[in-house]
Order: sequence, then structure tokens, then C-alpha cells
Amino acid sequence: MNKKTLGQKLLGTWNTKTIVGVAIGAALFGVLMNYGGIKVTTNTSLTSAYVIPAIVGALFGPLPAGLAAGLGNVVADLLGGWGFWFDWSIGNFVAGYFAGLVGLFGADVENGVFTPKHALIYAILCVIGCAVGFGVVTPFLTYMWYSSELTITWIQAWAAIVSDATVLIVVGLPLLFALAKRNARGTNLSKED
Amino acid sequence: MDDKLFITLVPGNTFIDKLTGKTKVRIFLLLIIILTATWDIRVIFPIFILSIIMLVSIKPDVKKNIAVIIFVLLMNIFNLFLTWIIKPDYGLEMVGASTVLFRFSDFFIVTAETMWYFLVRLMKFMASFLVSLTFIQSITPSELAAGLHSIKIPYKICMIVSLAFRYIPDITRDFTNIKISMQTRGLELDSRKSSIFTRLKQYVLILIPLIITSFDRVGNIANAMDLRGFGKSKDKTYYCEHEDTRGDKLLVPFIIFLIILYIALVVIKAVYKAPYEVWAPWIS
Repeated sequence: MNKKTLGQKLLGTWNTKTIVGVAIGAALFGVLMNYGGIKVTTNTSLTSAYVIPAIVGALFGPLPAGLAAGLGNVVADLLGGWGFWFDWSIGNFVAGYFAGLVGLFGADVENGVFTPKHALIYAILCVIGCAVGFGVVTPFLTYMWYSSELTITWIQAWAAIVSDATVLIVVGLPLLFALAKRNARGTNLSKED
Repeated sequence: MDDKLFITLVPGNTFIDKLTGKTKVRIFLLLIIILTATWDIRVIFPIFILSIIMLVSIKPDVKKNIAVIIFVLLMNIFNLFLTWIIKPDYGLEMVGASTVLFRFSDFFIVTAETMWYFLVRLMKFMASFLVSLTFIQSITPSELAAGLHSIKIPYKICMIVSLAFRYIPDITRDFTNIKISMQTRGLELDSRKSSIFTRLKQYVLILIPLIITSFDRVGNIANAMDLRGFGKSKDKTYYCEHEDTRGDKLLVPFIIFLIILYIALVVIKAVYKAPYEVWAPWIS
């Protein structure tokens, strides 16, 4: 197992595999955003799409996770037809980035390393990411670009924080554990006393 | 699910279909940016009409399109209704007056300005929806990548976008396959026979294989791309990008006009600070 530097961990390693991974993540995100959720308020829904940044982040790193979520939101806007909300895309980017940071703390889903400690760190990161992404970045950008409707944006932001963090944790965690277990090769060996 | 997605893989033969990816992407981006930037109905209304003409001109599947348009229209109207419930006098903030037309109670009033604002907003959203509906039905994923590359976006990002669009039909196919095979194993997805909570749990059971097969495919696709030398050189050309047709040349003035329109909108907004966001004919 090769050690990665901090910079590489923050940016993710960029090779063909990462590009394809981000693309497939964005496609899944876009489709699930449209057809894989229940509406909570307008423009926000309890959607299964938010497991995608968790997986992309665990497999490829934080920046790919953010890109998958951000581009995925653009794809969703294009398919869904509710107009383009680039403020939300960037909020998604931030939330996805945070969800992908778990690799920084030693989790390595690709090689089957994902312990309850990582799960806890991941849960905290998700909450912080959603809070920063949808609670700070999106309302700020909404105010800057569309200069309107802050009350509604706040309601939507709160709904987004709660629903997306819930999905990231409640659906994302079992999936990450399953994925880690699936990828575990030779990690289940224990030292005999 | 499959009939709700509009990805085209084979280019058609109408005027818009025959344009190069470059022209399609430029016009689409400019129209969307202008629609996002402005609240002025004098700009939105012509684009709205134009978007209808464009959509009709590509001869789309009528039944499919009507269904999705009605769905989006209803969703938007519902959205406006929610806005009205939260702030019935929203027109005062956006347009700058409040002429009461009808009164349910002291709080729930219907004002001409709010209705005007809702009309503008509905038209704005419908226009941007129709523009993107036309765009997505007239462009193939490779043309989209070529078009994005022509506005100096790094080709790796273009590749991500085009792969994502190319992959969407595969997702719907996999989803249907997994759903059917799960149902043959006894998964009950009928809304009349199982409660919403069990159905949710069952959708997770479909989702997990869907996601895992999709990410398993990453290795194969990446290997195929590597074998063809992807990412070896600094730049990439696109096979689907052909020479400018007559239509592309005809549309160059239109693109320049859109750029000037956008700059004009930004300058006017910065120089002449309108007290209210939305212009209405009866308020000077």
C-alpha cells in the first residue's frame, strides 16, 4: 500500500479511473436526485442521491466527491427542469467535499479499511459539510446571484441540511461498511497469539 | 423511468440538430445565463417564445414532452403557491407596490404586483426549462463534450460531463433489470400492497446493487480509455465536431447579439440601480 501525501489526499489522485468514477457518480447523482427521493420542501428532497458523494469520496477522495455532487446537481437540473440553481450546485460541491474527507483520517474503503471510529468521523464530517455547504455557502450565493427569497432559501437550507445529512449517515454508513467488506482482501487476517 | 429521460445518442436531422456542438453549447449557455441574470419580462418573454419555437423545430416526441412539461408546470405553480402562503404580499418587495385585488383575510391578500411577479417568475423558469429540454434532446454526449471544449474548458472535465450523460441510459436500464429481478424474488413494490416505509427499505435493496455494479464498471471503462491513450497528450480533438455548416455561420451574429445583451443587462443593472428587482409596466 503506497502512502499518499496530504496534498494528494486533499485533491484526490487524478487518473483515468478517477475521471470515470466522477462521471458515473455524477450520472447516478443526477438520476437519483430526480427519481430517487421524496419531496420535503420545494427544491429539496430526502433523496438517495447523497450516498453517491459518500462512495465517490471513499473511493477516490474529497475533490472527486465534491465534483460528482456539484456536476451531478447540474445534470439533475438539466434533467429535472426546475431551472438552474448553481448556488445549490456549489453547496453540494462543498458538502460532497466534506463527506469525502474521511480518507484523511485513515479510512481506505478501496482496500477494506473502515472501522466504527471512521464511521463516527464520517458522520461528524457529513454534518459539518452539510451545515457549511447548505447553511452558509448556498444562502450566501443565493443572495449574491439571485438576490431574493432568503426566507424560503433558509427553509430549504434547513431541510437540505437535515435530510441530506440523514441520508449521508443513515444510508451512507451501511453502504460504506458493505463496500469496505466487499473490498477487503487480506485485511481480515488476525495475528495469532 | 426510461421514458422520462431524454438523452439522445443519435443526432437527428433538423436545423438545430445539424449545428455543431460548439454553436449549440454557446447558445444554450448564453440563454441560460441571461435567463438567470434578469427578471425583466421584456427580455424573458422573447426568449420564452424563442424556446417554444426551438423546441417545436426539433420535432420531439410530442407525448413524452407534453407529459414532462405539464409536470414541471404544475411543480412550478405549486412552488409559487407555497411562496404566496409564506408571503402573500411578496410583490411589494419585488415590484414595489401593492394593489389589492382580492382579500381572503388581513394576511392572505392577492395583489396585482404579486401576481405579476409570479407571472414573470413562471415565465422565467419555464423558459429556462424549455431551453434545457431542447438542448438535451438535440445534443449528443460527444457533441456536448466538444462544445464545452470549444469554450476552453479542460478536456478532462468535458470527458466527465459527456461520460455522465452517456451513462444515464445505462443507469435506467440497470435499474429496471435489478428491479425486475428483485421482484421475481418476491420484493413487493406495489404501493397498494406495502406501506411506504417498507417500500423505502426495498428501494434501498435495489439501490445497493445499482451503485455497486456502476462503480464496478469504473475499472473496465477506465481501462478501455487508457488502452486508447486517453490522457496521454495535453489536448484532445473530437471526432464528432464537424466543420461549420451554413446554419452555424448564420447564427454567429445571434451569438454576438446574446453576448452584447448580457453585457448590457449587467451594465444597466450596475449603473442604473433599479429600486425593485422586477419591472412592471404600470410602475415607473
